[in-house]
Amino acid sequence: MTDFQVPIWGYWLMGIGLAAFIVMLGMYIRKNRGFKRPLFASPYVLWLVIFTVIPCLLVAYFSFTDPAGNFTLDNFKNFWDSNFNARKAMDQEELNMYLSMGLTLEDLGLARNSINIDTLVFSLWMAFLCTAICLLLGYPAAHIMADRNFKLGPTLVILFIVPMWMNFLLRTIAMMSLLEDNGLINNVLEMVGIGRQKLLNNTAAVQLGMVYNFLPFMVFPIYNVLNKMDYKLSEAAMDLGCDHWHTFYKVTLPLSVPGVVSGITMVFMPAVTTFYISRLLGGGKISLFGDLIEAKFLSTSLQEWNVGSALSLIMMVLILLSLGLLRRVDPEGEGGGMV
Amino acid sequence: MEEQRLIDLEHITKQYDGVTVLSDINLYIRKKEFVTLLGPSGCGKTTTLRIIGGFEMADSGRVMFDGQDISALPPYKRRVNTVFQKYALFPHLNVQDNIAFGLKLKKMPKDEIARKVDYMLDLVNMKGYGKRSVDSLSGGQQQRIAIARSLVNEPEVLLLDEPLGALDLKLRKEMQLELKSMQQRLGITFLYVTHDQEEALTMSDTIVVMRGGHILQIGTPKSIYDEPKNAFVANFIGESNIFSGTMVRDELVHFCGTDFPCVDSGFGEDKPVDVVIRPEDILLVGEDVGQVTGTVKSVLFKGVHYEMMIDAGHSTWKVHSTTMQPEGSRVGLAVVPFNIHIMHPMQEESAQ
Amino acid sequence: MMKILKRFYLGLILLFLYVPIVVLIVQSFNAGESRAVWEGFSLTWYGKLFNDPNIMKSLWVTVSIAVLAALFSTILGTLAAIGIHAMRKRPQAIMLTLNNIPMTMPDIVTGISLMLLFIFTKVERGYVTMLLAHITFDVPYVILSVMPKLKQMNKHSYEAALDLGATPMYALLHVILPEVMPGVITGAMLAFTLSLDDFTISYFTTSPLVQNLSTLIYSQARKGIKPTMNALSALMFVVLLLLLLLVNKRSSKQE
Repeated sequence: MTDFQVPIWGYWLMGIGLAAFIVMLGMYIRKNRGFKRPLFASPYVLWLVIFTVIPCLLVAYFSFTDPAGNFTLDNFKNFWDSNFNARKAMDQEELNMYLSMGLTLEDLGLARNSINIDTLVFSLWMAFLCTAICLLLGYPAAHIMADRNFKLGPTLVILFIVPMWMNFLLRTIAMMSLLEDNGLINNVLEMVGIGRQKLLNNTAAVQLGMVYNFLPFMVFPIYNVLNKMDYKLSEAAMDLGCDHWHTFYKVTLPLSVPGVVSGITMVFMPAVTTFYISRLLGGGKISLFGDLIEAKFLSTSLQEWNVGSALSLIMMVLILLSLGLLRRVDPEGEGGGMV
Repeated sequence: MEEQRLIDLEHITKQYDGVTVLSDINLYIRKKEFVTLLGPSGCGKTTTLRIIGGFEMADSGRVMFDGQDISALPPYKRRVNTVFQKYALFPHLNVQDNIAFGLKLKKMPKDEIARKVDYMLDLVNMKGYGKRSVDSLSGGQQQRIAIARSLVNEPEVLLLDEPLGALDLKLRKEMQLELKSMQQRLGITFLYVTHDQEEALTMSDTIVVMRGGHILQIGTPKSIYDEPKNAFVANFIGESNIFSGTMVRDELVHFCGTDFPCVDSGFGEDKPVDVVIRPEDILLVGEDVGQVTGTVKSVLFKGVHYEMMIDAGHSTWKVHSTTMQPEGSRVGLAVVPFNIHIMHPMQEESAQ
Repeated sequence: MMKILKRFYLGLILLFLYVPIVVLIVQSFNAGESRAVWEGFSLTWYGKLFNDPNIMKSLWVTVSIAVLAALFSTILGTLAAIGIHAMRKRPQAIMLTLNNIPMTMPDIVTGISLMLLFIFTKVERGYVTMLLAHITFDVPYVILSVMPKLKQMNKHSYEAALDLGATPMYALLHVILPEVMPGVITGAMLAFTLSLDDFTISYFTTSPLVQNLSTLIYSQARKGIKPTMNALSALMFVVLLLLLLLVNKRSSKQE
């Protein structure tokens, strides 16, 4: 497996692609009888094709082929049933023999084993939980900062924006060092007499790390929408007899939906795809979907690029679906995904 | 005549995304002529200018310059310069560097550049502004610098794309006269694009009226005003009354319920025609001696004359006159045969 | 009362976000090895940092890749932005969508797809592949920084330059570039910062032999955190924070 053979058509395709690019460039120049400004983009067009379009197609290619390069759907079947390949590898007659001896598949360790699907479900559950916690914590924070009477608001928001750009890995390590057996929290706990606790390497630690990393992505878009909202709307609502609470959930809340949806996708997507948070804070015991993909590609013992590609493809589809949902709710990008 | 032609457009066509913006344009421009392309927006006048400037390529046809085919030449190899709609001065350069831009590219000696820039600043009445930043200038001043920046390269043709469009009325009038006198003094060919008919009439030696990618009429301002080829040109150049009528026979036309003698012939008998009469060519006479009689519907004082709308012969006539008839009064209208212009009726796009 | 409660809540959230970072930075100055006891201020760990050949090698990889990636992606991205800006509507929309792909895709997918490309083309993963990957994810941000400046420009500036005798290259260098320069610089700084900041994509596109600081920290942290790693993380935090504040200030000033 490590010695991957490039199929002969691969070379052909690369050659044809390059030739097509040059021919198209020539035709464009001929048609316009000279140099036109769009040509300045041509180096990047070539770059995009090689480093963005082709890699995406390769993910699809690897998803639907086996290590020998033949078309197969096994990578997806395998997704539902991890032992699919092992069972297939065993000689059917041999298997029948064992079965006739009265042994069950469970005894042979070949029962339908669904590590992948379980991991996906667990991963989605963790991401969902993380999103919900971020929403519960983040919405009030955004609401407080967007208050027109709160003069410090715009300054404090910067404190939320900066971590959005900051390396998740470093922040995860900061959290890890805080939770360690002889980290600050444990020292404090010991000092107050509770005693040291195992804080790392469990689901809660992973969840804490995710919330810690992704909370700003929830706060910022909600703040953006609330901040742009015309404050006269809520004044009008109060004028019409709504009390504070009614004003909030009859006016402010519905109008902030684009920001909320934007925040949800921005938290949910990285939460589904993360692998180092679970690796560092879960100590390798907690496996998320991202870890699974990472393992298929980089773990030295099993390099299953094809299966990994299939998993990545599933992840891409998930992401595209949620982005499509976002477009639908917030077509103008009001939530302000990017800083 | 032939050797005087500087620019010759031959069968130029241009499409954008399947929409024809120029169809079979043929046009020549003589040396030292002030030619104006006039038409409503979207008529193809700016595209024509950009094809001559080299910013657009015609889909077919040739652009001849001084007897040579320059269709494939990029803008920087053409001996024409353009003054752009919103000036397009370079904001990172000061006034004199803007003007010197083209000269520096020609690797001209520094002292000569300085001399020419000073001369140009003088010419456009901007002496002493050389070190100023472009952003600190008013619209009118920027316009002058844009003109100086082009003229300093001594182009054989200066292309101007609605250069006065962003200025207010008074400044526009001043600049019109200045541009005209500059053109005469320097002896450069000007190709001017505008949608303002008054501007075109004031400045041009030749006006090219365009519409929908076609040339409708080419002529001197006077001939276009006096002898518009069709109702569209008549209406676009100055104000007009346009009636549909019937040519009874040569030199007699029927409209608004009456037969009028005219000077046109060759339209055939009982053929539908458009009749165009300028408001100032309609005479107000006594009710009993007019060719038609009508009632004054409204009167507007316009400074030099009164503008009256008069209902006569089931149509409304617009009349300009220095004598005023009160609203509601009955008047007679008369037109001398020479001032009645007969045209083939407008069929869309069949004018060519 | 409500007001105090609100501020208290906000304070708690910010504390949650910043305490781990602050603690990490403070600990990196601790003289002792233990995180439990404060044994006085010291720069011991920082000193060790600069004497560790592995870390120094990774530092060199990180910085040189960031500089090169910023350089190439700025050139590529600025040219691309100018070209895309001058395109007609349809090709422009296609280009902008393609340009968005690397920004919207999760890093892990970008990393894996690039890794597959290198496997497929049999390019050994290492320094060059990491550089190529960094350029790929930097360019979209450069384009995003330059585009607004192009939109502010007079749309005839370029044509005016050609009209006065400039070749397209001359017009690009002497007319367009000076006008969009602020955007180009912001883009370059952003590219540099993102390149320093990246972990996931580097992780998938390099080999264990060529590590940048992020992948080094990750591989070390899997075995537990040593004080030198603390110091390294703290250092990176501060550098990145300063860079980010600088870029943010620049881009908000430009609007």
